Amino acid sequence: MTLFLQTTLNGLMLGGIYALAAVGFSLIFGVIGIVNLTHGVFVIAGAYLALLFYTELGLDPLLSMLPVGALLFAVGWVYQRTIIDWAISRASVEASLVVTFGMAMILRNLLQLWFGPDVQTITPFYSFFSISLGPFRVDMVRLVALGSSMVLLLGLTLLLARTHFGRAMRAVAQQPLAAALSGLNVKRIHAMTFGVSAALAGASGAIIGIVQPFSAASEVAWTLNAFMVVVLGGVGSPAGALVGGLLLGLINSYTAQYFGPALTQAAMFLVLVLMLLLRPTGLLGNPYGESR
Amino acid sequence: MAGPVQASHLAPLLEVRGLAFDYGGVQAVQDCSFDVSNGGITALIGGNGAGKTTSVLSVSGARRARKGHIRFDGADILGLPAHEVVERGLALVPEGRLVFEQLSVHENLLIAGHTARSRRRLKDNLDYVYDRFPRLQERRQQNAGSLSGGEQQMLAIGRGLMTSPKLLILDEPSLGLSPILVSTIFRLIRDLHNDGISILLVEQNLHQALAIADYAYVLEKGRVVQSGTGHELLNDPKVKEAYLGVA
Repeated sequence: MTLFLQTTLNGLMLGGIYALAAVGFSLIFGVIGIVNLTHGVFVIAGAYLALLFYTELGLDPLLSMLPVGALLFAVGWVYQRTIIDWAISRASVEASLVVTFGMAMILRNLLQLWFGPDVQTITPFYSFFSISLGPFRVDMVRLVALGSSMVLLLGLTLLLARTHFGRAMRAVAQQPLAAALSGLNVKRIHAMTFGVSAALAGASGAIIGIVQPFSAASEVAWTLNAFMVVVLGGVGSPAGALVGGLLLGLINSYTAQYFGPALTQAAMFLVLVLMLLLRPTGLLGNPYGESR
Repeated sequence: MAGPVQASHLAPLLEVRGLAFDYGGVQAVQDCSFDVSNGGITALIGGNGAGKTTSVLSVSGARRARKGHIRFDGADILGLPAHEVVERGLALVPEGRLVFEQLSVHENLLIAGHTARSRRRLKDNLDYVYDRFPRLQERRQQNAGSLSGGEQQMLAIGRGLMTSPKLLILDEPSLGLSPILVSTIFRLIRDLHNDGISILLVEQNLHQALAIADYAYVLEKGRVVQSGTGHELLNDPKVKEAYLGVA
């Protein structure tokens, strides 16, 4: 029983990080209708930047989430304004799938060129602390990582619900034509959405860097994770990402514990296929409207 | 036709000349010209596929016209994106309402009330819209998708009003509404006009549109084929035969 609960606990903590790493992917898909296959690169770029800030400036990875987020916001903005917008306006929204796939390959190799192929980790002083709660043990870094994820997800929820920019993103997601006729600059909102998405991905990368080893090649896994989270939880809301992320964390953790770590990917895909068959809109459906 | 006749002695608020638009080679609007008078109600009428909706989408900047001139309030607006046309004081209430269904009624209004033009009047505009549409006030926290067709139309008009327009273009506001609601909407259009907002009304509901219009244009196959005061067109034998189903 203790083992089961400990496994559950581990799964939930991992899931919180999955949720944060995926929420930007879900946001872009919900608002613009683009499956951004470059998303994992943003996550890993965030991890590398946090590593740089840590080794060069001694900045704690949790603090470096701010500059990393800001840098990636700019990257996401420019990326949408140039490559993505060119692809959409000259071809179609579907064409962006191929474009983001190609960009992911280019950027992955660039990261490899700059940072080398070695697996990296960020190890701040609290890396080896853990807390004991009765029979359970919780790693300090995981707890901190989960807490940061929750704070950022809550922040995004408030942004969407309470601010003009958040309402504008939801309006553009539902009715781009009516949004433009209501005075919203749809292109600008799209660029901002990409910026916010990349910033959140980068911030999650900084957290992932202290929890897990990473290399340029792991961007594929993070894009895939984001995709799974969206399928499980539903598109377009932080709550959907949270539910999907936690579920994915649990699936991972249970499979690794009871069936062996080699089978986690297989289990994830099994659930993915079942989910697509049984409830293709995800557990929380699509709160942004069924326009897509 | 030797250029459109002006609807009133006032300078026109909107002048459209030689507008042309095609969807992938299919001509939707060709050489379309009309005026909207300052302070009046102008109607654009015609059957399905006559090019009415494409014309007003082009005027509002949502579609980029291939040819032509569009002057609004003394400035050329052809080529401006939709959100900048709104800032000039031209609001289009689109066909099919297109409310933000997953947003509350209040949020729908707030979004449109945030233009640079109308931001400072946000509270006054909200009061004005809720005063004009008490129904929306009652349902302000409901999702717009849960409203009835008539209420959604009111919300779409209210959203247009939140941008503080000089000219409000209404594209088929009576479409799919019950006869009672249609009368309500037409009464409302008159009220808005009395409040000083110029109106361009796009309609298939000819009787009522012509009854309240100062001036009207008949579109056919993307061209203006006839124009006159609402009264003149109502009694015109050709219009009667083609559109009103009376010989």
